[in-house]
Amino acid sequence: MKSSKSAAPEREFASKKKLSPIQILLYAFLILICITYIFPLLWVFNVSFKTNKEIFSAPFALPEKITFDNFSFAWTAGHLGTATLNSFIVCVAALVLSTIIGSMAAFGIARMRWKGAKLAMTYFLTGMMIPIHCVLIPLFTRFAKMGLSNSLIGLIIPYLTFSLPITIFIMTGFFKGIPNELIECACMEGANIFQIFFRICLPLSRTGLFVTGLMTFVGNWNELLLAMVFISDDAKKTLPVSLSKFVGPYNTNYSQMFAAIIIAIIPTIIVYCAFSNKIVDGLTAGAVKG
Amino acid sequence: MDKMLRNKKSILVFMLPAFILFTLVLFIPIVQSVYYSFCEYKGMTAPVFIGLDNYKALISDKTFGIALKNSMFFLIFSCVSQLIIGLIYAAVLTNIKAGRNLFKNIIYLPCVLSSAALGLMWMFIFSPKLGINQLLEKMGDKEPPLWLMDTKGYITLPMWVIAFVALWQYVGQSMMLYMAQISGINKSLMEASYIDGCTKVKTFRYITLPLIKPMVATAMSLNAIGSLKFFDLIFNMTEGGPNHKTEVLATHLYQQGFKYFKYGYASAIGVVLLVLCLLVTLFINKVVKTEQYEM
Repeated sequence: MKSSKSAAPEREFASKKKLSPIQILLYAFLILICITYIFPLLWVFNVSFKTNKEIFSAPFALPEKITFDNFSFAWTAGHLGTATLNSFIVCVAALVLSTIIGSMAAFGIARMRWKGAKLAMTYFLTGMMIPIHCVLIPLFTRFAKMGLSNSLIGLIIPYLTFSLPITIFIMTGFFKGIPNELIECACMEGANIFQIFFRICLPLSRTGLFVTGLMTFVGNWNELLLAMVFISDDAKKTLPVSLSKFVGPYNTNYSQMFAAIIIAIIPTIIVYCAFSNKIVDGLTAGAVKG
Repeated sequence: MDKMLRNKKSILVFMLPAFILFTLVLFIPIVQSVYYSFCEYKGMTAPVFIGLDNYKALISDKTFGIALKNSMFFLIFSCVSQLIIGLIYAAVLTNIKAGRNLFKNIIYLPCVLSSAALGLMWMFIFSPKLGINQLLEKMGDKEPPLWLMDTKGYITLPMWVIAFVALWQYVGQSMMLYMAQISGINKSLMEASYIDGCTKVKTFRYITLPLIKPMVATAMSLNAIGSLKFFDLIFNMTEGGPNHKTEVLATHLYQQGFKYFKYGYASAIGVVLLVLCLLVTLFINKVVKTEQYEM
């Protein structure tokens, strides 16, 4: 994506002048907007270091002394440590499996020659319109019978399945773009179809893999509803669920709850800050195609 | 090579895993869900067919009415507001000279954060004694509004608050879609309009806007489906309260299905949601087609 590079043409003579009043106005507007984005986060961050008393006596001052008690309490009592680990296991497993299974199906649709390819594509694409809520109850009762409720595998399977449509859709586009000659060449050299898929087509579609991987991972990492319904055991909960249970009307220690919120979002913020341009462009590319 | 690509066995190997998963985890459950919606089904006992009774009950269910109304409000509000605000952000960002990436990344940040966590954050900010009300009290407001506890009005105040929080969180997505489309416009078009004496505003109105119409449809359908599925923010900010005034379809489904274990009834809500999603997608796709003819 080249979206970041000078989207609007400037008039040549204007670019050498100092900031015009309009530009200053635009910047003021943007800074105001960004304050609404950063200030709430900073406020939560600030409050999470305070004691409960301080929150009400001096809500906007900096904390008197910096302690990490709130954080360690939230980490252990809120099960946020195990929750982070669980989320990680579930998301990585769903990501790896959906990428492999999804790209295989995409390859089958884009490259193999058979009559049902178009129909198969439509079949998978309808999955994009279906809200997860509709399948919640049948899946829940089925999984309970199979002993899959309250297990991470019971989360991985639906997450992986719901990631398939977008993976198949985007990867099909990438596989179709690979020139025929390359595959012909490989075929002449004696490669079989699986070598062509794993050694040639997958490496050539790295951008697609990155985009789909990112979308799946972010989506599953933040998913609340399904995880909340399927998991009731504290040791198996994912991050959004543990957080929602810990922070609630029955807890009155505000600063600990704020610390829990910070713990839940800080990994994402760090990763985002490190790769923000790639992440934003990748997710946008995925959404444009989806 | 042709033989290899037509090999039935390898096609099966490629397609089967995805096909099986998809059918078992998505399509069979949907069919089941539709069947359950015609059943009396309360968790412990087996489903019993009762015809349209669940749907009849839906019509007389007051909470369902509120949920449907709120979902519709949400759908319209998010489509319109994201279109306008997203376009404004995109237009402003493409017209500044430096720091575009910084601003863009800041505005996009909440899109990747967990809406469960952000919902809790805003719940605190709008709680009666914290956050905004502390600020208002400092400025001398003796009786600050109750925000998420208010129950007055057709569309209640908490619903507006949640709608604005959702706008805050997801507008980055629409903004990026529009920016991507704007950067794809051929620059010579813009230059030509400048030479013809157009101002920037006029160029935006007559060149940029018509050219990004297809993207408007894409962004809108994303918004529409997203807002119908909307659950996390509401669940963590109000849990549908006070007095069910902020219930939407998804939270109502969750309450009925997994608090009261009325599986059949909840399935009926799910079917309504599914039909709405399909209708909205169809509607927007139709609008896209006519727009493309216009261009």
